[in-house]
Amino acid sequence: MNFFGLTLGVVTLFIIGLGFVWVIRGERYFGYLWWPYVMGLGILLIIASLFVNGFWGPALLGVFGASLAWGSTELKEQAVRAEIGWYPFNGKKILPPLAKVIKKWKAPHL
Amino acid sequence: MSFIGLAAAVATFLSIWFGHVAVRKIEFISPTIWLPTVVFAIAGITLEWFSLSTSNFLLSAAFGIIGITLLWDALEFTRQQNRIKKGHSPANTENPRHARLMREYPAVTTIDLLKREPLDKPVSHTEAIKLITER
Repeated sequence: MNFFGLTLGVVTLFIIGLGFVWVIRGERYFGYLWWPYVMGLGILLIIASLFVNGFWGPALLGVFGASLAWGSTELKEQAVRAEIGWYPFNGKKILPPLAKVIKKWKAPHL
Repeated sequence: MSFIGLAAAVATFLSIWFGHVAVRKIEFISPTIWLPTVVFAIAGITLEWFSLSTSNFLLSAAFGIIGITLLWDALEFTRQQNRIKKGHSPANTENPRHARLMREYPAVTTIDLLKREPLDKPVSHTEAIKLITER
């Protein structure tokens, strides 16, 4: 019996669950325009995992990176949820560098 | 080079994406929610069994992640139905289960209120509907 995958699966579920929290809080305080930075960080973590030895180190980097990349595509919808009033709306967000440029891009949503 | 992180990342991203789309689509058309719940639960348990059985850590990781995600998706069918009841996700009038929910829960709607770009300002419920229907 190899318990690595099952344990990693359960840990992954919690990392994805953490995604719900940071997408909601992150959007509220910082806004959805941070999405390219979050996506970039996720991709960097996945690339970094290629150069880490062992099982748990690279696996957790990969899962966390993928969860960040997915969450970056959820930020836009979360912004709309807050505007509708399903979540608290914060009018004073800490915008990212180049926010004006990013606003012209179409934020991804899968 | 270690590819276990990449395998775990691809398994995580694709299974979240698959679950996100599949739960919504299946709940939308399925007359019952117990049937998809059971099918997803069996698929999840089967994949966990594969994951326990293989000595290959890369496969064990991928099956383990996809299996647990499918088990979570099994629960999401009920959570998705609750979103329909609250009007947070669009109902399907062709689906007899949704038609019943429309009679029982006043908040049920066929409009997807999230299908637009953000405006960076709070909007009333009436405005939120207008933003979707009048464009």
